Amino acid sequence: MRIETQHLSKVYGVTKAVDDVSLTLSDDVQVLALIGPSGGGKSTFLRLLGGLEIPTSGEVTMDGVKLPLKEESLRDIRRKNGFLFQSFNLFPHLTALENIVLPLVKVYGRSQEEATKRAAEVVERFRLTDHVGKRPGQLSGGQQQRIALARAMAHEPSLLLLDEPTSALDPEMKSEVLDLISELCECGQRIVLSTHEMGFAKRSADHILFLSEGKCVEEAPSSQLFDDPKTEQVSQFLHKVMKW
Amino acid sequence: MKLFLSLTVSILLGATFCFVFWVVASHEYQWAAIAPYWKNFLNGWTTTLLISAAALVLSIVIGALLTAGQLSPHRVPRWLSRAFVEIIRGTPLLTQILIGYYLIADSIGWDSRFGVGLVILSCFSAAYLAEIFRGGIESIPQSQWLSAKAIGFSEVQTYCYVIIPQAIRRVLPASAGQFANLIKDSSLLFVISVHEFTMQARETNANTYATFEAYLPLILGYFILTFPISLLSRNLEKRFAYEN
Repeated sequence: MRIETQHLSKVYGVTKAVDDVSLTLSDDVQVLALIGPSGGGKSTFLRLLGGLEIPTSGEVTMDGVKLPLKEESLRDIRRKNGFLFQSFNLFPHLTALENIVLPLVKVYGRSQEEATKRAAEVVERFRLTDHVGKRPGQLSGGQQQRIALARAMAHEPSLLLLDEPTSALDPEMKSEVLDLISELCECGQRIVLSTHEMGFAKRSADHILFLSEGKCVEEAPSSQLFDDPKTEQVSQFLHKVMKW
Repeated sequence: MKLFLSLTVSILLGATFCFVFWVVASHEYQWAAIAPYWKNFLNGWTTTLLISAAALVLSIVIGALLTAGQLSPHRVPRWLSRAFVEIIRGTPLLTQILIGYYLIADSIGWDSRFGVGLVILSCFSAAYLAEIFRGGIESIPQSQWLSAKAIGFSEVQTYCYVIIPQAIRRVLPASAGQFANLIKDSSLLFVISVHEFTMQARETNANTYATFEAYLPLILGYFILTFPISLLSRNLEKRFAYEN
């Protein structure tokens, strides 16, 4: 995917979550990982790329298409993408299967049978068939997150955006979810993810963006950034988080 | 401490029940005096049932509109709805009935006591329902909005498929309480001579001077109306119980 941002900023009140970021990533990036300290702007940057937030100023161009600045047109962009958040945002009043079927029917206009068939395919692929009848409250964190991932993947999104997908999980569940994401990476799914899992970012992402205080401090191919960071800040950060 | 509290509550309530039952049971009743009026009671009870049922439906409609007004992004509907809710909730129903019938309805030449009573009662209950509904909707976590937005739902779809189904469960107990209040509040409509249940009891008392005999049936009559609401609400709550 080709991602371009020009003077991209997002301000909440007095906080500059993303502060004048301009960059161009080449065509051959399939998996982009956003890393950096908490509160550094990763989530906001990811949401701007996915069309979930409207920039305060500047613009985003994805594969040569400039993202619109109006809510209605942005909704069409969002519908082509798939999102997964840190706290599993499944709808608690619906079963796992209904969570996947509902958007297919209401957003993508598929018939109920078609949608149910498609949902069954995805849950089978994600090894979740036993849980389809359960409500989110009856599932473990890892299962919820995998269902949420199935929901995000059901309409075959052109881009999958993962916002710290494993931050709220214990280590065992973390690996369940990371396994699944890395499977998707291997299948060629285009992914942008923000993460604190450095090992995962190093292995699965082909490009890394380091964000801190809303600025892009460094961006480089994965191996280069992890093995030979150019800035002191990134080097210190990596040293700290990879220590244990 | 827990045992002490349980004991105290049991003794106090038990003693109160016994005392009231003893007083009521030991009175010498002249049921024969009110027996000829049984038809009036039945008519009154039916009127109460009809006006309450109609007001329940109408108050849900008006309450939902007021909620929409209060949640509107525009100032004018927000302020007007707020003003309506505050004025109705801050003034006695009795005054509203008197002003509504003798001043407002009279000025437009509407003299159906049942009709005016129905509208006033509905507006009164709607103001309380609007607050309950608003609280329910605002209690749904932001993550659900974000999730719905990410899926590509429009605002209307988000309300229909995500927010309202979850809010319904949260507002059920308080709404049921309000519906029971509505039934009991309809007894105030006697001031504009709506021939409802309480009005019939008052008339029977005036004709027979058998005060207790005339008023006691009210306890049973109103309880028959309010108790099923309480049961139904508990039942629905269980049906909607999906959390945990």
